[in-house]
Amino acid sequence: MDKIDHKKVLATRIAAGLGRRAVLKGMGAGLLTTAASGLAPRLASAQSGGHITIAALNHIDTLDPHFTGFLAAIQVINNIHNGLLKIVYDGKAVTFEPDLAESWELLDDVTHVFKLREGVTFHDGTPCDAEAVKFSLLRVKEGEPASPHAWKLSLLETIEIQDPLTIKLTFSKPYAFLPVALNGSTGRAGTIVSPAAVQKYGADYGRNPVGTGPFRFVSWRENDAIELEKNPDYFEEGLPRLDRATWKLMKEPSSAVAALMAGQVDGMTDCPMQLVSQVDAFPGATLYGEIEGNYTFVGMNTRKAPFDDINLRRAVAWALDRETLLKQAYFGRAIQAFTPISPPMTGFYDPEIASSGRGQWFDLDKAKEFRAKAANQGEIEAVYMMSERGPVGTRVAQTVAPMLAQIGIKAKLELIEPATWVQRRNAGDFDLFDFEWVADLDPDETLFPEFKSGGAWNFPGWSSPEFDELCTQAQVVLDVPKRAELYHKAEDILMDEAPIAMMAHMPVYKVLSTKVQGFQYIPADLLNLHTVSIG
Amino acid sequence: MLLMALKKVLQTVFVLFIVSVASFSLLKLAPGDPVEIMLGSEYSAEAHAALVRQLGLDQPLVTQYLDWLGNFVTGDWGTSYIARADIFTYAFVEALPVTLTLAAFSLGLAVVLGVPLGVLSAVKKDTAWDAGAAVFALTGTAFPSFFLGILLIWVFGVKFGLFPVMGFVPPWEDFWGGLYHMILPALTLSTYFIAMIVRLTRATLVEVLAQPYIAAARARGEPGWRVVWVHGLRNIAMPLVTIIGLQLGTLLQGAVLTETVFSLPGAGQMITSAVLGREYGVVQAGVVMTATLFVLVNLAVDLAYPFLDPRLRPR
Repeated sequence: MDKIDHKKVLATRIAAGLGRRAVLKGMGAGLLTTAASGLAPRLASAQSGGHITIAALNHIDTLDPHFTGFLAAIQVINNIHNGLLKIVYDGKAVTFEPDLAESWELLDDVTHVFKLREGVTFHDGTPCDAEAVKFSLLRVKEGEPASPHAWKLSLLETIEIQDPLTIKLTFSKPYAFLPVALNGSTGRAGTIVSPAAVQKYGADYGRNPVGTGPFRFVSWRENDAIELEKNPDYFEEGLPRLDRATWKLMKEPSSAVAALMAGQVDGMTDCPMQLVSQVDAFPGATLYGEIEGNYTFVGMNTRKAPFDDINLRRAVAWALDRETLLKQAYFGRAIQAFTPISPPMTGFYDPEIASSGRGQWFDLDKAKEFRAKAANQGEIEAVYMMSERGPVGTRVAQTVAPMLAQIGIKAKLELIEPATWVQRRNAGDFDLFDFEWVADLDPDETLFPEFKSGGAWNFPGWSSPEFDELCTQAQVVLDVPKRAELYHKAEDILMDEAPIAMMAHMPVYKVLSTKVQGFQYIPADLLNLHTVSIG
Repeated sequence: MLLMALKKVLQTVFVLFIVSVASFSLLKLAPGDPVEIMLGSEYSAEAHAALVRQLGLDQPLVTQYLDWLGNFVTGDWGTSYIARADIFTYAFVEALPVTLTLAAFSLGLAVVLGVPLGVLSAVKKDTAWDAGAAVFALTGTAFPSFFLGILLIWVFGVKFGLFPVMGFVPPWEDFWGGLYHMILPALTLSTYFIAMIVRLTRATLVEVLAQPYIAAARARGEPGWRVVWVHGLRNIAMPLVTIIGLQLGTLLQGAVLTETVFSLPGAGQMITSAVLGREYGVVQAGVVMTATLFVLVNLAVDLAYPFLDPRLRPR
C-alpha cells in the first residue's frame, strides 16, 4: 500500500509544477484506501478492553504539550492529544500524515489549508474546530508565558478561519520544517489543546490536560502513577482498544525489569542499554527499538583555551576510537555517527556514509598530525564534566579519557550532579562534555538550533556565518535532494571545524510484554497506545 | 510535667526554624537552576527570564525565604514549579503517609523479630544459636539496603513470584493488601534494625540475667519463661525506646533508597527528586515535615521514660 509522503508531494509538486488539485485528489484517495483495506479487518478481529500498566522510567515534567521539555512527557501527551499532523512509520520510512486534519492542501509554497475532521470533540465536550486550532497555534506562537516551542511557528504569518472546519495558514517563507513543527508528537507546536480547559486551569493545564486523543486524563499522583482511561468518543473508529492505561512512575530501571518479569507491569517506556541483553533474553517480553533520529558527541568549549584552537579540536575529533566507544559505552547497541544527520531522516541520511569520505571517524595518525599543528605543544589539561545522566551516564567520559591521553590531553574528569551539570553546560563552564540530541526527524532541527551562531543550545559556543547561511537557505528549499545538498555542506563545515567529535546514533528502546498486541513502533521515542490491546 | 512538655515544644519550634533556614540556604548555595531544568534543553533566553520573574526567583534570598515562611505557617505551602502540584497535598496528604506506613511496618517487624532473637541468643549464650544470631546481626548491619532490596525482589518477587515488587496499597483502605505490598520493603528497611535490636536485647538481657533479683526469682521457683520474659525483659523497654527514637533518622534515610527500589511514592522519593530538580518549596516542606517528625518522636520518647521507669517519675 502506498504511504503518502507529504514532504515528497510538496517537493514533486513544486519541482514538476503539477496541478495541485490533481495531486491532492490522489492523496485523498490513498488515504481512503488505507483506511478501508488496512485498518478495518484488523479492527474486526481485535479484542476490546483491558488495562495496561507501563513502567515509566524517565522524568515527566508536565502534560502540557506546549510547555514540556521532556520526551517522556510527550509519550503520555501523545495518547491524550492529537496534532494537526502525525508521524507514520512503515518500517522503512518516516512520513507525516494528517491527524486532526482530514486533508492538507498546499495553495502555494507558503499557504497551507487544513480541513478538519467533522464532529471531533475534546474530552470536556467542547468541539475541536478551526477556532480551537487557531487558539492552540497562537498559544504556542505568542502565548503568555512564552512557550519554549514558539520558534517552530515564528514563520507563521496569518491564520485565517475560512469556515468552522477549515483553517488557512500563511507563512512568510516556504517552510520545509513544517511537517515536524505541526505534528502532535515531537513537534509539539502543532498539538491541539482544549481552549476551554486552558482558560479553566491556566498554568495548571499540565496537571489537567484535555485533548482529543484516544485516552482521557484521570489522575497524576506524584512519584506514583499517571492514570488514563479510554475516550469512548475517539474519532478513529474502533480505537482505542484498551479501557485503561497506567504509567507507573519508577525511578529504578532494575526494579522495573523485575516488575516486568514478575508480570506486574506490561511494559517499559525505555530500557537502559545495560539492561537490554537481560530483557532481550526474557521470553515474556518483546523489545522494540531501532536507531532513531539522534546523535551523541563529545563537545568542546570553543570560546576559550585550549579548545578555541581548531587544530586541537580536530585532533580530538580524529582521536576517538569509535569502535571501542560503541562497545564500551553503548554496549554494542549503537551505530557509528559520522555526521549529525541520522538514519530516520529519509532522503537526507546517506546509508553509504561510512564509505563516502564525509564526516569524522577514528584515525590516530591524522589526529596526531593535527595535534602537532596545535598552538599548545605541551601537555594540556582539560576539565571534562560528567554526570549520571543521559542514556549511558558517565561511561562515555571514562572511555574517552584514555583516548585523549594518547594525543597529550589530560582530561580532568569532574563528576557533578545533573542540575549542576545543566547549569554549567548552559553557562559554558567546561572544557569538554558529552551530550546527545534526540528525537529529531528533520535535518533542520538536528543541526540549526544546535549550532546556530549565538543560539541558546549551541553549548560549544561555535560560530560560522557560512554554516548559518547554508542552514537558513535550506529552510526554504522544499526539494529534498537540493535541501539535502545544502545540509551536507553545512555538516561538512561543522565536522571540519569540529566543535564536537561525533560518536553514535543510538537505538531507543521500548519493552512490551508478549501479552500486548498491536503496538506500532515509530522511531521518534513514542509510545502510542491507540492500537494496542492486551490479551 | 506540663511545664517540661511546654519547654520541649518551644525548643522544637526553634529547632525547626533553624532546620528550615539551614536547608533553604544550603539549597540556594548549591549550583543548579530550577528554571533551566523546567525548560529542558529547548528554550529561549526570554522564556528563561520570564519564568524566573514569574516564580519570584529574581527576588533577594531573604525576601524569598520570608515569603515562603509567611505562607508556610499560614498553611499555604505553595505549588511546585515543575509539576504544578499543590505541595501540601503532595507532601502531607500523599507522600508522608506512605513513609509513615513504611516506617511503622519496619519498626514493627524489627521489634517482632529482633526481640525474640535477642532473647534467644541471651538465654542460649555461647551456643550455636547465639553464634548464629550474631552472624545474622553482623550481616544485617553490614548489608546495604538498596542491594538487599533488589536481592529480595529477585528472589521473592521474580523467582518465586510470592510478593509484589512495587507499588503502595494504603493499609487503611485494604489492610491485608497493604501488608502484602509492604512486606519486602519493610524487610529491606528493617534488617538493619532487627540486627541492632538483637544485639541490644542480647547485651541488656545478658547483664540483667546476672542480677541478684533474677537469681532470687529463680530461687522462688518461678518458671524459666517468666523469669526471662517478665522480670528480664522489662529492663529492655528503656534502651529499646531510646534506640527507636535515636534511629528514626537512619530509618527515614533508609526510606529514600527503599522507596526508590520498590517504587513507593513516599517522602523520601519526594525529597530526593525535589533536591535534584531544585524544587525549593517541596524540599522545604519535606525537610520541615521530617524534622518535625523526628523532634516529635524524640519528645514522645522523653515523655515516655517516666512511664517505663518508675525511678524517673517526678515525686
